[in-house]
Amino acid sequence: MTGGLQRVASTILLVGVSFLLTALILWVSGYRVGDVFSGVIQGSMTATGAATSSIRWAIPLLLIGMGVVIGFRAGFFNIGGQGQFYVGACSALVVTLGWRGGPAPLVVLCGTLAAVIAGLTWSLLPGYLRVRFGTDEVLTTLMMSFIGALVLQYLTAGPLRNPSGTGQTAASERIPEAFRITDSSGVSATVLLLVGGVAVLVWLLLERTRFGLAMTLVGRNPTMARWQGVDVRRVGLVNFALSGALAGLAGAVELYGPAGRLVTGFSPEVGFTAVVVALVGLLSVGGTVVAAVFFGGLQSAILFLPIVTDLPPPALVLLHGMVAFLVTVKFRAVRLRRTGPASEAPTG
Amino acid sequence: MTVPSSPASAGVPAVRCRSLGVSFGSVRALHRVSLDLAPGRIHALVGQNGAGKTTLAKVLGGLQAPDTGDVHIAGREIPPGDVRAARAAGLAMVHQHFSLPPSFTVAEALELTAARPGGRPLYRRNELHRRWRDDVAEIGGEAVLSTRIRDLPVETRQSLEIVRAMAADARILMLDEPTALLTPAAIDALFERLRRLREDGVTILVVLHKLREVAAVADTVSVLRDGELVLGPNEMSEVSQGRLSDAIVGPASQADRAVGVEAAPGAEQQTLLELARVSSRASAFEPGLGGIDLSVEAGEIVGIAGVEGNGQRSLVSVIAGLNAVTEGSVLLGGTDVTRAPPARRRRRGLRLVPFDRNSEGISRRAPLWLNQSALRLIGRRRRRLPLISLRQYKRQAATEMDQWRVRYDAVTQPAESLSGGNVQRLILSRELAPGLQVLVAAQPTRGLDFSATSFVRRSLRGLRDAGAGVLLVSSDLDELFELSDRVLVIYGGRIVAGFEAPYERRAVGDAMTGARR
Ligand SMILES: Nc1ncnc2c1ncn2[C@@H]1O[C@H](COP(=O)(O)OP(=O)(O)OP(=O)(O)O)[C@@H](O)[C@H]1O
Ligand SMILES: [Mg+2]
Repeated sequence: MTGGLQRVASTILLVGVSFLLTALILWVSGYRVGDVFSGVIQGSMTATGAATSSIRWAIPLLLIGMGVVIGFRAGFFNIGGQGQFYVGACSALVVTLGWRGGPAPLVVLCGTLAAVIAGLTWSLLPGYLRVRFGTDEVLTTLMMSFIGALVLQYLTAGPLRNPSGTGQTAASERIPEAFRITDSSGVSATVLLLVGGVAVLVWLLLERTRFGLAMTLVGRNPTMARWQGVDVRRVGLVNFALSGALAGLAGAVELYGPAGRLVTGFSPEVGFTAVVVALVGLLSVGGTVVAAVFFGGLQSAILFLPIVTDLPPPALVLLHGMVAFLVTVKFRAVRLRRTGPASEAPTG
Repeated sequence: MTVPSSPASAGVPAVRCRSLGVSFGSVRALHRVSLDLAPGRIHALVGQNGAGKTTLAKVLGGLQAPDTGDVHIAGREIPPGDVRAARAAGLAMVHQHFSLPPSFTVAEALELTAARPGGRPLYRRNELHRRWRDDVAEIGGEAVLSTRIRDLPVETRQSLEIVRAMAADARILMLDEPTALLTPAAIDALFERLRRLREDGVTILVVLHKLREVAAVADTVSVLRDGELVLGPNEMSEVSQGRLSDAIVGPASQADRAVGVEAAPGAEQQTLLELARVSSRASAFEPGLGGIDLSVEAGEIVGIAGVEGNGQRSLVSVIAGLNAVTEGSVLLGGTDVTRAPPARRRRRGLRLVPFDRNSEGISRRAPLWLNQSALRLIGRRRRRLPLISLRQYKRQAATEMDQWRVRYDAVTQPAESLSGGNVQRLILSRELAPGLQVLVAAQPTRGLDFSATSFVRRSLRGLRDAGAGVLLVSSDLDELFELSDRVLVIYGGRIVAGFEAPYERRAVGDAMTGARR
């Protein structure tokens, strides 16, 4: 498929251009570009623990990114991963702290389930508004994200605040060690298996089930899908539910994995980066896995860089933003060219 | 033969192309096409679905760059694929699909899309209307300028496409299947328009399927077959009908065989589709239904005649389950489905050929195989495992499309790459497949070439003979009379008359215009 190859090539090119532009800006601002980029290599791959750290950051990106891919398949721009991720983590925390005496596997399972349900609910509300009233989901999912962040803030600063905490930012108590599924590196066989399993399941769902094909039809032309007897509303609701469930799951993994507690405003961009991950991954499952690892590495490097250069941490976020910007522009441009500005919107 | 033309351009063909070639993958859309069109005449272009007519028009209009060959318009060479150059040379085009933006008013749409010189970035409404008043004089006058495109009847929309094309004083006008959507009266009016344009010295190239229409309007005719120009341009007086249809179909063509569709067993004894006092709300385009009573028995074709915009769309949508019924009930095979979702109706054997094939019938950006397989997504599941084999889906889709002789390159190509008639064939291949009990077909032969049209008609009769019920909605009276066991006339959302063979054209026509109750 030459068309497919072309799209991959042009995406890689865009990422390359983003690197160049970032380098240019850094150079103009007087930093030593060589040092910075060698720092990026170290921080994402070669330094001790860097590769593990890259994977650790890739995991939530991948889970939430899968949700974005699912959303796009049916024509929805569900960008509320951040809030869904937060409420997922919060629900898992509430269950865990509320039942800290319980048997570890059962508590973790219940906590994870709670996280999935919370994320799902957080996504389903905008989803319902979308299929019922045609409310633009970009806006509603985004707003729900802000509310999710406030929920996290309330819990960590209020009822679940660790009273003996000393840091400047409010944080919850730690969950008992027995409930952790990874050490503080955030990577373990369990988690890798889980994430790998999710990727495979999502791929099967999208590419090898009738429901997945129905989602594709709805995403391409909802009017035709309705004429063919596809229940467009149901497809929409299930779609939002799945996206939210995955983001909620990512929240649970974060809590039981690397975090062990919740801090106000932790991982503040992961939900939005996941959208970029999905776009860079060309909205395919395989591509999103690759893109997640790439952006996980970048995140790891961002945390590592201040150690080896005098670069302030936000400077590399620039690279992030650059990629996000270019990829989004390209995506929108392709869409506009294909369908014209007034493309049909899937409403029930 | 003398060629009537203005002295200045005598001898120079209005359009000249030399050995044009265009390929899409393995499909050869055009192959070594060379053509001279004399100025000031009406030239018809005919050929089977997928023969390359639209592609040729696009290449001449600069909308598609040819792989080989060149195009001259009024003696000037046009760089390959240069729309502006083609326009500047005086060429304008009316596409196979309507291209005016539906949510705009007529005046806005014209100002936006017609290349009329002297435009300004800002207008007051009155100024805008003054600017376009004269152009729409023939199609309803100034009043029509503030109507939204989507609220116009098809005939007016069609005329408007011509107005738009002619706005920049085009000297050459190309029309791709302009008659496909029109009623016979509207077709006559269209031809009259074309003749008048010819009087003014405009050169016209028109793509047509019906030889009757070719004979009625054209001065010369050219035939494309499998991308090659096999005849023409010849004077109409020089070619017999027989020679023309031979050229279109070609020597090697096997006749299309009718698809063997078995209606599901147990279908013989009953009323398959019944509407009892069904009413629905009016839409933007159409009156709602006002208490429709109608039934289709097994082994029967019921025709619905009517001037477009009298509730036909509502009727089809209500049966499909896409428009809510406000009163009355809909029965499929004796079961009340008034409140049933579309999927349940589909599973009961309802098959639909919708009016708007490009938005309702296919998903333009989805691959062919998925378009073809769409109904398989909602059927009852036979296996436990939810996983499906795409290979099998694709293979089956290919088999069924081949039965209908859809012309395509690969099953993975998007449906938008099909020619107009092939889109219709794709839809038919999906809907007229086993499992069918009731077929509701809106304009099933629209845009089809001659052999495909007779193929569809034979298939509909085959369905009837196998015990299926067919509701045929069409604005083509000949088609209705030829196929239907009964014809009902819809007017203002009501069934106002019923007829049985032998049909009287006058009486049916009167009922269609509401002159008779
Ligand atoms: N963009 C495209 N990609 C792939 N194939 C194409 C594309 N455009 C046209 N074709 C193919 O080229 C052939 C000629 O198409 P064209 O639209 O010119 O046919 P046509 O004579 O206008 O037919 P119809 O009567 O059905 O409108 C068809 O087989 C069609 O499938
Ligand atoms: Mg065509």
